[in-house]
Amino acid sequence: MTLPISTELICFLVLASIVVIGGIGVVLLSNIVYSAFLLGGVFMAIAGLYLLLNASFVAAAQVLVYVGAVNVLILFAIMLVNKREDLAPIKGLQVRRFVSGLVCSGMLALLIRVVVKTPWAVPGPTAIGEEATERIGEHLFTDYLLPFELASVLLLMAMIGAIVLARRDVLLEDVGTGEPVDQALLEKVKTPVLTEKTTL
Amino acid sequence: MPEMGALLLSSSTISAPADLLNLGLNAGAVAPEGVVLVALLGTLIVDLAGEKSAARWAPPICYVSLTIALLLLVQQWNAPLEPSFLGSFLADKLAISFRGIVALSTLISLLISWRYAEQSGSPVGEYAAILLAATLGAMLLCGSTDLISVFISLETLSVASYLLAGYMKRDARSSEAALKYLLVGSAAAAVFLYGASLLYGISGTTNIKGIGLALITSPTPLAALALVFVLATVAFKIAAVPFHQWTPDVYEGSPTPVVAFLSVGSKAAGFALALRLLIGCFSAFDEQWKLLFTVLAVLSMALGNVVALAQTSMKRMLAYSSIGQAGFVMIGLVCGTEDGFAAMVLYMAAYLFMNLGAFACIILFSIRTGSDRIADYAGLYQKDPLITLGLSLCLLSLGGIPPMLGFFGKIYLFFAGWASHQYLLVVVGLVTSVISIYYYISVIKMMVVKEPQEASEIVKSYPDIQWQTLGIPALRFALVSCVLVTAVGGVFSNPLFRWANNAVAGTPLLQDSIAIANQQFLG
Repeated sequence: MTLPISTELICFLVLASIVVIGGIGVVLLSNIVYSAFLLGGVFMAIAGLYLLLNASFVAAAQVLVYVGAVNVLILFAIMLVNKREDLAPIKGLQVRRFVSGLVCSGMLALLIRVVVKTPWAVPGPTAIGEEATERIGEHLFTDYLLPFELASVLLLMAMIGAIVLARRDVLLEDVGTGEPVDQALLEKVKTPVLTEKTTL
Repeated sequence: MPEMGALLLSSSTISAPADLLNLGLNAGAVAPEGVVLVALLGTLIVDLAGEKSAARWAPPICYVSLTIALLLLVQQWNAPLEPSFLGSFLADKLAISFRGIVALSTLISLLISWRYAEQSGSPVGEYAAILLAATLGAMLLCGSTDLISVFISLETLSVASYLLAGYMKRDARSSEAALKYLLVGSAAAAVFLYGASLLYGISGTTNIKGIGLALITSPTPLAALALVFVLATVAFKIAAVPFHQWTPDVYEGSPTPVVAFLSVGSKAAGFALALRLLIGCFSAFDEQWKLLFTVLAVLSMALGNVVALAQTSMKRMLAYSSIGQAGFVMIGLVCGTEDGFAAMVLYMAAYLFMNLGAFACIILFSIRTGSDRIADYAGLYQKDPLITLGLSLCLLSLGGIPPMLGFFGKIYLFFAGWASHQYLLVVVGLVTSVISIYYYISVIKMMVVKEPQEASEIVKSYPDIQWQTLGIPALRFALVSCVLVTAVGGVFSNPLFRWANNAVAGTPLLQDSIAIANQQFLG
């Protein structure tokens, strides 16, 4: 084994173990702030994996988008909703954990079996390195033009929707008749679906 | 079609920018979606001038644009078939039919929603814009032939649906519906992405046709796993049991016009996606997915129709009945014959009119009384004959009573199923149809048979019928036309049958699959 290959292997093992351990930590830790920071670590390690595959543009995008935007947003959300609250214990939590653990380990076993059984086309296509940005641009404006343009509609609509749902002022009267209204379903509540909390 | 593969190859080896400019995008195929996009921006612009201006101008903009989109789709019907956007989109007759169903369902959903939105004091302009965005996503989903396009259009449809479900933000039920829909929907999207990434890993392409070819030449166990993941997403979108848990809660908590769109437009897009993915991509796993879908169809028909019996809320009952109806449509998918596909298209079209007609009636009832409990409909025929007649006809059609439109759709589905030896599905379908007739008829009985003194309190204090209020004439127009098509369409259903058969005959994807099935049958 030559030096570059063994270095690559060591890097891969380190990054992969960060991803796996970090991912388990995100799920298992009960303090949500730790989970959020660990998630950032996982995203960084995945960016490292992209670098290892010689995809520097994707790695940079991963860091910018996932660590810089998504993860920071998650942290903001946690800090803004900083409310300590003791949740009522769920009935049969142990049984549920056991069952979901069983399902997940079954899934893992299945995935491992399938991955081992599949004849992979190794080695894959050679990395194009620095040309990647150009190639991505070409794809975005040729065969992926439609999804690229549609993504802008998706973002526009998500923005409008977020504003509509988040803005505080609501219409107080019916534009057709001028009668007072309230933004609720017309069908009256018969049985409360959510247990409404009195203290907000 | 060799040109698609050639195009893909050429696009990945392009070097000079001059070559790029010479590629034909054939972007005219998405002209109907372009019109919908213009309408989306138009409603947003008129909304800037205030709520009065939005309530005045948003409806005509939507009507005009959706009508133009439908006309453009009609014009595309006989156009020569060419893949557009270098293989991302294909406007074959199947896609055109389903896009037409989606656009028409949006048009009718908008007609019945203005009064509801205004009476609940929610901003109308943004409502129309988000619903149009959902339409755009659903229409593109019907014709997408590339996993990336499929995913983005699926997300456009889903995100818009989450927003619409939570649109009545002062109501905890609506927020709950949106949150549940968001969580389950995001999980489904993640599963789809996982499956799609596996497919890309196996075949090295995101084009559905290319993946299908790769899977035929070398079917691997990994592909079976990808099939299960992708199928789970499709089943989520069409709300097949056991991926249906979100449906009753979301349908109960969402604004009723949104439910009307979700139960028809969104579901039609889901079936178009199912056809594209299962037939175009997983033809190598024909037996496996047919078996899985048989199980899903039997469970959907049985559970949807049986649980609907016990419901006391009209919206919830229609939610469970829509699960059952999706089960019936799946019979056509499993058949895999020419008649099976045609019956699917026909039943979706019939379902559009009868379901939206029923929703128009229950929206009008809740606008007037503020209730959707089935018990509150008691004795309605005395006070409001139009709702009683419309709802009765639509429910009879949903149950499959002749001579309504739904009867012909259902009989065609069962006929196609029997002809292709799906005896189990047809027998389950027949039995559950009888069950469904029981709960549909019990609503009609509640409205019609009760004596005046037995009428519910709500019906006793029923308001005077007025048709002048803003938005009510549109609702009445939608109600009357849906009920008319449902009632009379069955007798004059020949054009519909011909249209559905043409749609299947003019779609190379389906024809190839039918030809392969016939060869296997003979050989």
